[in-house]
Amino acid sequence: MTIDIREASRAWTLEALGVVAGYGGRTILHQLDLRIRAGEIYALLGANGAGKTTALSLFLGFVAPTAGQVRVHGVDPVAQPGEARRHLAYIPENVALYEHLTARENVAYLLDLAGQNPAPDAIARALAAAGLQGQVFDRRVGGFSKGMRQKVAIALALARQVPALLLDEPTSGLDPQATAEFSRLLQLLRAQGVAILMVTHDLLGAADVADRIGFLDGGRLVEEVAAAGEERFDVRALHRRYAGQAGQADALERSA
Amino acid sequence: MSTVRRIAREEWRALFRDRVALFGLLLVSVLMLVATLTAHEHQHHANAERARYQAQANEQFAQQPDRHPHRVVHYGHFLFRPLNPLAAFDPGIDAYTGNTLFLEGHRQNSANFGDVRQSSLLMRFGQLTPAFVLQVLSPLLLVFVGHAGVARERESGTLRLLLAQGVAGAQIVGGKLLALSGFTGLVLAPALLALAWFAASGQAPWSLALLLAAGYAAWLLLWSLAVVWISTLCARGRDALLVLLAAWAVLVILLPRWVPDLANTAIALPTRFETQIKVERDYQALGDAHNPEDPKFAEFRDALLSKHRVTRIEDLPVNFKGAVSMEGERQSTELFNRHAAAAFDRQRQQNALVDGFSWLAPTLALRRLSMAASGTDLLSFQRFIEQGEQYRYDLVQGLNRLHAEALSYADETNPARSKRISHTHWQKFPAFDYQAEPLALTLGRAAPAALVLLLWLAALAGLAWRAGRRLERNVR
Repeated sequence: MTIDIREASRAWTLEALGVVAGYGGRTILHQLDLRIRAGEIYALLGANGAGKTTALSLFLGFVAPTAGQVRVHGVDPVAQPGEARRHLAYIPENVALYEHLTARENVAYLLDLAGQNPAPDAIARALAAAGLQGQVFDRRVGGFSKGMRQKVAIALALARQVPALLLDEPTSGLDPQATAEFSRLLQLLRAQGVAILMVTHDLLGAADVADRIGFLDGGRLVEEVAAAGEERFDVRALHRRYAGQAGQADALERSA
Repeated sequence: MSTVRRIAREEWRALFRDRVALFGLLLVSVLMLVATLTAHEHQHHANAERARYQAQANEQFAQQPDRHPHRVVHYGHFLFRPLNPLAAFDPGIDAYTGNTLFLEGHRQNSANFGDVRQSSLLMRFGQLTPAFVLQVLSPLLLVFVGHAGVARERESGTLRLLLAQGVAGAQIVGGKLLALSGFTGLVLAPALLALAWFAASGQAPWSLALLLAAGYAAWLLLWSLAVVWISTLCARGRDALLVLLAAWAVLVILLPRWVPDLANTAIALPTRFETQIKVERDYQALGDAHNPEDPKFAEFRDALLSKHRVTRIEDLPVNFKGAVSMEGERQSTELFNRHAAAAFDRQRQQNALVDGFSWLAPTLALRRLSMAASGTDLLSFQRFIEQGEQYRYDLVQGLNRLHAEALSYADETNPARSKRISHTHWQKFPAFDYQAEPLALTLGRAAPAALVLLLWLAALAGLAWRAGRRLERNVR
């Protein structure tokens, strides 16, 4: 029996195997192995410079690995960047949108570029599902807060109906209410079978929604922890081990 | 709708929400309109004036009374250079060259009364012409409007967002280029209308109007490509603006002025005064054609006597004084033509040197193409000078022939006899009819400049495409 590698690979929506990558001759990721399946939220934690954003850039095809393999829904993002990106949505830390366009126009434009042409009410539904109030749908995003911009980006991700979502520091700068709302949206997407990779410093936030948490240190994935039981994660234990890297020791101690 | 067209449409919308683009477009359109109308009016007025002066000069020449033909030679004649219809679009070097030739015997006068010398000092700051608007101002507008095209996406972070939707870097660059090219079309539209007007009204041939249109379209497209390319390379819009402004200053302002200066230094032209002294010295060495006894013409006299098998000039079947005038004119014209050819040859060498630099500064190629198509370059001027000189030679030799054949040597040397011939003779000389350069020749002359522009276009298109392909790798 022959194994269809592409089909086998699809069991994992996002996959990085033995990846070595970096910029301008400087290696940032060392032998990174990372696999995320459909309907799973994976939080990648690490200190500044640990390689979290580079890991995201791998799946977007912005960085070509010098060794190893990367697959997005079975597609190599280096060889076929356009095809790979059609299978994923991406929400950067600071969501940049077209200031002169309204929320609805931004989503419509970006969907159009992604090769989708949904009906106007589908866009409105996505915006509403992302938690935006109806009265701002047709307002230019120039005056939107960070949270509102993020909701527009989530609406885009929802409307695109892609199998994978990449999030870069999604809760940074959000107030607790917005963070809670965001977590709700992630759970909604997980329920729809989307594979979600979020890179973050926020151990508490990650522990709240993630199914697995990976710790990146110096470009190496040093540990992976899966949620288990009602408590999901032993946050204190995780913190004690990685507080130095993640830089959250003080914050966590204060919150405890 | 394709991705490239969709990006272009959005960029187009953003452009027109930007008041700089709208105001700039309006300003350039108004300048183009004013330049076209004033240049056309100037040309119309100049042509009418020159035609009137030419008719007046023809009339005065023909109305001379019975007189000695050599007096008619010294009475002289005026020729006025008719303006090429497209000179209104690009006056080229016309303002600096003379447009009036005074024709007389034994002398090859320079053209006089160029516009710049005729006008006030303010005129020397340069006339506003459609060519100036397109060559100098329009690229500047494209720089201001398009410099941030791709750089702005990078700066604001939307570039990652665009790429994340599966859009290829080359598609983003293509979309920006398409949008800026559309804007370029609007910038070019008034000029195209002006050219169509010149051609449709029969003032200029369609082929030359189309050549100008194609040349300027290539020029502005070249700038669109350069703007998008630099915008793709630069991290910030402000950096792109600075780079592009520097490129504009060097390519459009500095090199087109510095290179002719360099050519003038490398291949120096003698001053008019130096040339006149040299010509006069050589001319004096030829002998005095007014004096049949001048020893310089002894050989000619002996050959003529021998040809007619006579021993005395009185026995010649032609008036020897007229024959000497013809020979003197032949020799002096040969001398003048030699000097004129040498001067034009040096100017051609200067032009060739300037043309070599057009690989570095396409503005030089565009100017070459534009002036050739408009009939306002050095070769067009030389064509007028050569035709004028040929007309002068034929006229003077025609009068010398009348001297030799219609007036006998015996009558001329007898103080009791009339030395005049009928005024009807002057009326038989044809009027000057300037023949414009054949179209095929003009198109052929413009071809090297067109090739330079096309190669610049191809090179910039390649660079922009390459930068687009690398755009995805340069995103962090």
